[in-house]
Amino acid sequence: MTAGGRRVTVFAKSTAVSATPVRPGKTYPLSSLDHLMGRHTLHLVFYYRPGPTLDRDGLKESLSEVLSHYPAVTGRLNRGEDGGWIVKCNDAGVRLLDARASVTLEEWLGSASAEEEMELAYWEPMGDDPSIWSPYYIQITEFEDKAFAIGLSCTHMHADPTCATLLVRAWADSHRRACIAYAPFLHPSSATFRFSDLAVKSLLADLQPEASPFSALAALFWSRIARAAGVPPGPGDLTLVVDIRKRMHAPLPHGFYGNALHFSRARADLAARVARVADELGRHVAGLQEEEIWAAAEWAHDRRQRGEEAFQMYGPELTCFALDHVMAYGAAFEEGEGGRPAHVSCRVGGAEGEGLVVVLPAAEEGAARTVMVTLPEEVAKAICRDDAILRYGPTVMFVGRG
Amino acid sequence: MPAAPLPEFSSSVKLKYVKLGYQYLVNNFLTFLLVPFMAAVAVELVRLGPAEIIALWRSLHLDVVEILCMAFLIVFVSTVYFMSRPRPVYLVDYACFKPPNTCRVPFATFMEHTRLINSDPKSVRFQTRILERSGLGEETCLPPANHYIPPNPTMEASRAEAQLVIFSAIDDLIKKTGLKPKDIDILVVNCSLFSPTPSLSAMIVNKYRLRSNIRSFNLSGMGCSAGLLSIDLARDLLQVHPNSNALVISTEIMTPNFYSGSQRAMLLSNCLFRMGAAAILLSNRPREAQRAKYRLVHVVRIHKGADDRAYRCIYEEEDAEGYSGISLSKDLMAIAGEALKSNITTIGPLVLPVSEQLLFFFTLVGRKLINPKWKPYIPDFKLAFEHFCIHAGGRAVIDELQKNLQLSPEHVEASRMTLHRFGNTSSSSLWYELNYIESKGRMRRGDRVWQIGFGSGFKCNSAVWKCIRTIKTPIDGPWADCINRYPVHIPEVVKL
Repeated sequence: MTAGGRRVTVFAKSTAVSATPVRPGKTYPLSSLDHLMGRHTLHLVFYYRPGPTLDRDGLKESLSEVLSHYPAVTGRLNRGEDGGWIVKCNDAGVRLLDARASVTLEEWLGSASAEEEMELAYWEPMGDDPSIWSPYYIQITEFEDKAFAIGLSCTHMHADPTCATLLVRAWADSHRRACIAYAPFLHPSSATFRFSDLAVKSLLADLQPEASPFSALAALFWSRIARAAGVPPGPGDLTLVVDIRKRMHAPLPHGFYGNALHFSRARADLAARVARVADELGRHVAGLQEEEIWAAAEWAHDRRQRGEEAFQMYGPELTCFALDHVMAYGAAFEEGEGGRPAHVSCRVGGAEGEGLVVVLPAAEEGAARTVMVTLPEEVAKAICRDDAILRYGPTVMFVGRG
Repeated sequence: MPAAPLPEFSSSVKLKYVKLGYQYLVNNFLTFLLVPFMAAVAVELVRLGPAEIIALWRSLHLDVVEILCMAFLIVFVSTVYFMSRPRPVYLVDYACFKPPNTCRVPFATFMEHTRLINSDPKSVRFQTRILERSGLGEETCLPPANHYIPPNPTMEASRAEAQLVIFSAIDDLIKKTGLKPKDIDILVVNCSLFSPTPSLSAMIVNKYRLRSNIRSFNLSGMGCSAGLLSIDLARDLLQVHPNSNALVISTEIMTPNFYSGSQRAMLLSNCLFRMGAAAILLSNRPREAQRAKYRLVHVVRIHKGADDRAYRCIYEEEDAEGYSGISLSKDLMAIAGEALKSNITTIGPLVLPVSEQLLFFFTLVGRKLINPKWKPYIPDFKLAFEHFCIHAGGRAVIDELQKNLQLSPEHVEASRMTLHRFGNTSSSSLWYELNYIESKGRMRRGDRVWQIGFGSGFKCNSAVWKCIRTIKTPIDGPWADCINRYPVHIPEVVKL
């Protein structure tokens, strides 16, 4: 570090606006809790190693996309009649700072002081006129080795660390989707594994007897797929799709016709034993709150109001679908045992990315399950030969493209 | 004392039918004359009978030499006639630049930047008032360099904007038409305010590896009406060079032209001008007639620069503090009206049906000889054209033209909506407006379009196109994702 020299230079200030205009006239007053935090500010810094899709222009584009979903972030604070603060969603945008650091990310992480880190999250306190002052400041700093640091500063009245982090996560998701959407999904292959009642019971005995067949199978397949795909062991994300008909306070009837699915992201440490993963998944599924479900429904409604197209729901990361409560085998066309279906398959069109795992009921009653996987060709081949799965003696069917 | 309403109404209805009858009679006069004549000849022939006709022919005593001379004369005259006709110029297709969403300039952001950069309260109030009444929407775009606080108008940024807008438009055009860069024989680029060396046309030749014997032209400094000037130049070149393609690029580069001072006359352009570009492919190749969209019928150019007031009405200069900008004089609308009158007087005889021309002529003669107090007759251009593309220079321009030409709101809808969605994109605005009409599915085969452009000089140029194939929706273009939201109601004043 050169004596007295600054390693971070902010070279441009601009305003980032949302990709779609905000409907005019929306305002909302800040709550008492928000006002309480008036003296405080929030500063978050996210560090990212260099990556093929990480560049300044791409980040700015995905930021604009994400800001379309957060009209409050691009608004301005005004004084209301009672002297309290009101956020006026006037589509003004957030301040964006472009900066450069003259060291590599590793050097920085090894040697930067707290004061220096504050230089990565630019902040300007409110001046005389709050209506032209941006409550959010986002700084994109590029390191020597093309690593990036995203700094977010905002007034604590506006946001707490959770929702500020959610904003950055949404930004990251938007950036990833924008990039992954163009990544080719090479030769998807699928395979069906039919686990008998005894097989599933022995799996449960190995892992955790209290786990549900779904979480046990999901955990098993997730860890094996991650290993086959070459994902380094460590915390991983899985998109879980569950049916919400019976999870609401006012439950929907089983016969409810329409989409009643909830997509959520479950985390677990894939380096741990499969039993732990199953435990995590089980807890995630059981712990789904009704508020989350309603929030997702509202988000979908808003999207529709804006006339946006359907979202890529299944993908790009590995998605696991819990369908084992569906009474598919009750669809009998004839009387007696012979009328029940011999097998039921379920595929989702338009799924992309790392793959889809669907857990369905099987013809045999009890704990038997059918697991259908759609994966990139290499990974699918590896899974079909995977020992940890074949131990339980599933019948492997419908292997191939499609 | 005003007349009672009922008689007025019935008399106006009668007048409408009289007018219609008059128009049919005068416009199809020759047909009316010809029909009885042909009937008389047919009756005579039938009366004579075939034998008598043959006898008549024999009595002419024509021998082989005379017949051959007559045939040769007919062939010679028709060859001279066909060779001396001007080559038809076809508009094969065109593409407009669609700005990325990250370049959007909402009103709130624009006003915030203005206040942060130049805090003179009078200028701020002035610009707020202008923006409120401008007729622009919240989706107009400025280039990235203008989003910085303060704006960053380097030459590199200007070139970057030029590359972004021009290359996007050309790439779109190539995708739509399958044009091969080596097939471009003529290249005309017009960009008024940014003129680097090497020129923008050289930049295009370099990027697309165009042929070394290309005929390239770069028009700069010619204002917002330069788009039609380029079309005129391309047309003249296509008369001289047979079997050729001409690529015309119309654009205006915003980056170097942000005015940072506080002169009101110069702040207007900051509020209204936005980023845009259009690439047009013209051709005189006969086989392009099968897939071309339009045929160029007339181009009329009027230059009022000989008048000092008109010359100084849009003037680029430095203000007292040394900031350079484009000053718009208060006489602008009056001068535009006069230029338009000249243009109409020139184009009228070329496009109006005979009925309207006669009425205009008789009213003119009457005013001169009988009674100067007669109201001048304004010909009804709605009889000559189905679609109007009026340069979206500003709300006042469109209002003025709507009044002068007595156009309905539907006729000026394309101009108003382009102003709302894209702002004043200078010379390329006419192409965005044409694209609007096509996107709405209103363009049918046989429709005539009138494009009117105004610009510094003071110039008023117009072009007349005839649509040669019905254009089916949906079409790909800058309106593709938002055409269903339009037309929108644009309030007189948007409260900021």
